[in-house]
Amino acid sequence: MTTQHFDLMVVGGGPGGYVAAIRAAQLGFKTALVEKEQLGGVCLNWGCIPTKSLLRGADIAHTLKEAEHFGFTFDNLSFDLKKLVQHSRSVARKLTHGVAHLMQKNGITVIDGSASLADKCLLNVEHEGNVTQYKATHIILATGARARNLPSIEIDGDSVWGAREAMTPTVLPRKLLVIGGGAIGVEFASLYNDLGTDVTLVEAEQRITPAEDADISAMAEKAFVQRGIKVLTNSIVQSLDTSGADTVALISGPKGEQQLEFDQVILAVGITGNIENLGLESLKVETEKGFLQADGFGKTNLAGLYAIGDVAGPPWLAHKASHEAIICVEKIAGVDGVKPLNKAQVPGCTYCRPQIASVGLTEAQAKAAGHSIRVGRFNLNANGKALAINEAEGLVKTIFDETSGELLGAHMIGPEVTEQIQGFGIAQQLEATEHELAQSIFAHPTVSESMHESVLDSLGIALHK
Amino acid sequence: MTNEIKPINMPKWGMEMSEGDINAWYFAVGDQVNAGDDLVDIETSKIINTVTASDSGVLRAIIGATGETHLVGALLGVIASAETSDADIQAFIDSNTSAAAEPEAVAEVADPVATTIETAPAPVPISQPASSLNNLAEGEDDSLVAASPVARRLAAEYGVNLNNIVGTGRHDRVSKRDLEAAVLAAGGRLIGNASTITATGAAQFGDDSNVKATPVARRIATQLGINLLECRVSGDRGRVCKADVEAVAALKNKMPAQTDGGTSVSNNTVESQPISGMRKTIAARLQASKQTAPHFRVHIDAEIDALLDVRKQINNSTSDAKVSVNDFIVKACAKALIKVPAINVQFDGEQLSYFSNADISIAVAIDDGLITPIVTDANHKGLVEISNTTRDLATRAKLGRLKPEEFQGGSFCISNLGMYGIKQFDAIINPPQGAILAVGAGEQRPVVKDGQLAVATVMSLTLSSDHRIIDGAVAAQFMSVLKAYLEQPATMLG
Repeated sequence: MTTQHFDLMVVGGGPGGYVAAIRAAQLGFKTALVEKEQLGGVCLNWGCIPTKSLLRGADIAHTLKEAEHFGFTFDNLSFDLKKLVQHSRSVARKLTHGVAHLMQKNGITVIDGSASLADKCLLNVEHEGNVTQYKATHIILATGARARNLPSIEIDGDSVWGAREAMTPTVLPRKLLVIGGGAIGVEFASLYNDLGTDVTLVEAEQRITPAEDADISAMAEKAFVQRGIKVLTNSIVQSLDTSGADTVALISGPKGEQQLEFDQVILAVGITGNIENLGLESLKVETEKGFLQADGFGKTNLAGLYAIGDVAGPPWLAHKASHEAIICVEKIAGVDGVKPLNKAQVPGCTYCRPQIASVGLTEAQAKAAGHSIRVGRFNLNANGKALAINEAEGLVKTIFDETSGELLGAHMIGPEVTEQIQGFGIAQQLEATEHELAQSIFAHPTVSESMHESVLDSLGIALHK
Repeated sequence: MTNEIKPINMPKWGMEMSEGDINAWYFAVGDQVNAGDDLVDIETSKIINTVTASDSGVLRAIIGATGETHLVGALLGVIASAETSDADIQAFIDSNTSAAAEPEAVAEVADPVATTIETAPAPVPISQPASSLNNLAEGEDDSLVAASPVARRLAAEYGVNLNNIVGTGRHDRVSKRDLEAAVLAAGGRLIGNASTITATGAAQFGDDSNVKATPVARRIATQLGINLLECRVSGDRGRVCKADVEAVAALKNKMPAQTDGGTSVSNNTVESQPISGMRKTIAARLQASKQTAPHFRVHIDAEIDALLDVRKQINNSTSDAKVSVNDFIVKACAKALIKVPAINVQFDGEQLSYFSNADISIAVAIDDGLITPIVTDANHKGLVEISNTTRDLATRAKLGRLKPEEFQGGSFCISNLGMYGIKQFDAIINPPQGAILAVGAGEQRPVVKDGQLAVATVMSLTLSSDHRIIDGAVAAQFMSVLKAYLEQPATMLG
């Protein structure tokens, strides 16, 4: 049998890979996509989408809890965890089918199996013991990433959950230890706390969500503590003893060591790229710290090989992967005006309660980069809509370059801020200055009016502060 | 608008265009057309381009119906005022169709240099709003004069030199108001309202990529075929905004371009459809080549075992390239063409042009034909660069994304069918080039060495040359030089 030849093959069907395949097909490439599990990747199956489906349940739990404030009382309120998990899984399934439909609609050949490079422009795809070889002029690796283990603590799927197990619980943990205060850790801490679990969150850095602006982290921690989440920063889980009925964690922190008991542990201490078993070593494809090395357009050091998304390094976000996919394919196709990814314009969203969203530089980063800056702050407790919905805990912080007026960074914490950050992202992309933002009319009453007020504050003319 | 009857003629885009297929009309007979509107899509060799109206009026007649092929210069339609009588229109059509340029022989046209270079019908110049503006037009280069983007664009439209305008805007910039005041003071008329606007073709405004515009405005403008230079500038910081583009669109009553993919199917089992512009070009060029260039062929076998070894070494040691056998052939040909410059030529039937560098066309099969992107200066490029250039060209060739300069020209051509297992074949010269190399598959064959039977990987190469300009001995010399490079690949790397 002759080797099948494609113009472009994508390895990995997540939000990087499947978007690359669609764009390639749109441009006229004869395209194939290789996926070893389910189309949609971690994002659709085990990440963004199913967790947001669960967090909707947490929101409802929270709403029910504060319903009394609005005059509602319930008797015999019950909660069936199984149904919430079912909802989450069914959403994931629906979207996976959607991706399969998109592949079909765009004439993309979907190949089941695990791919590895046999040579330049040559892929072996192993499926149920059979290996098929494919030639492709261009190969895009979008194999994603997976949760990282610690030297002393590993995900075992039982006492220690990774994200997968944490989003398919059968019973609600009573006492939960979440190791890692990054985006994934705080989302699970927030989820389980809202569902009624006693949660302890441990973060090695001096603040939770350490990638966010310090003011945002501080407000998030305050909100978490108010909700009853125990937050231990500057702390490290030294060891876990899982031999007993409960897991005993030895945690060291500023106040020394302590032993705490939990019936469940979630490990969320970062991720590592899926670079194994791809045939990279023999072809001398460059990797660094577990991730593929690529230029601003995804090109690796190997002829005809490209890397996008999580496997190509941070930020590990689905929308960054999709954006890289488009850039990479369009660059190969010679589309005019393709610009390399500007990482400073990739928004980040964390769906804990209150939500966190940001784009661009933090205040510390902006200062470190030598900008002379103008900072605007607006607290949601002066926002009418936020008070009306009883979610007045939050902050909008904007950072402008004093000279050029460029929006260097925007940082938000509060209700539905993940839906609002796009406003700042668009402003940044269009190179709007504080003046354009100040001149824009924000509808009243909305939470996003605080975005406007924050910008006005940067000019010293906030109206409600 | 005048009462004149204006013809729409088949344009001539480039030297080799002799005819075009009518792909789609944007207007029907009776529609109001404004100067600058997209009128009709014409398909030629490899591209579809749009003819824009050079005059405003009513589209009174379409002579070139969709699907038809017409010669360059042929009358395709007529624009006139609504008042012009049908009889006048018919008389105009009759006189113009009989007077249409007699068809140039297709063969002659395929030979670009021999064809008299015709230019496309000259665009109608942007009519000056008022001749009395002439005294405002004089002056030195005004590119450094502080002016708002609006004022600068308007100045270009009015033909006004900004040195003659006193600025009263912010920081003494020339504002739109300053400019318009000066135009009025000089007795000019203001443009920008529907009754006096001089709508002009998008192409006549020139490159608008430097015009400041919001992304939305740029997108709409592209979709509607509106040049951003046509638009007023009312957005923030001198940017063309959506409303500006829509204003022009409303003026022109534009709809987004539509494509028409009509094919005719007979009720018999035979499906017939007009061949594509590209296929026609291939047909015309190759027929002309065979008819005008007396082909003769020389054939040689080259042993490529050493070459395959070197290829393996290079590919094992270099990550950033996947050098193919064909890349070696391009490199070897480039070296051989410099050594035997009599092959590195173009011939237009009268003039023989020698090239100092080897611009090698490589035949790439694509869905509906073939195209020959060019590796320029191949003699100065290393194998890795040749390989990566070829990969990029071939990728974009298949996507139809080559720029004309990337496939037009070339001083020599290589056609390789080795990947299909073809042992040996003859190729037809790609005019006006003087020769083409046909490359077969490298395969193990028995060879006799020093009286002993041995096995070697052998590749058959056939050079087709135009005997009008290349003699047998020269072709033979080229092939022996080429063979030497291929058999001793280290020599081509020097």
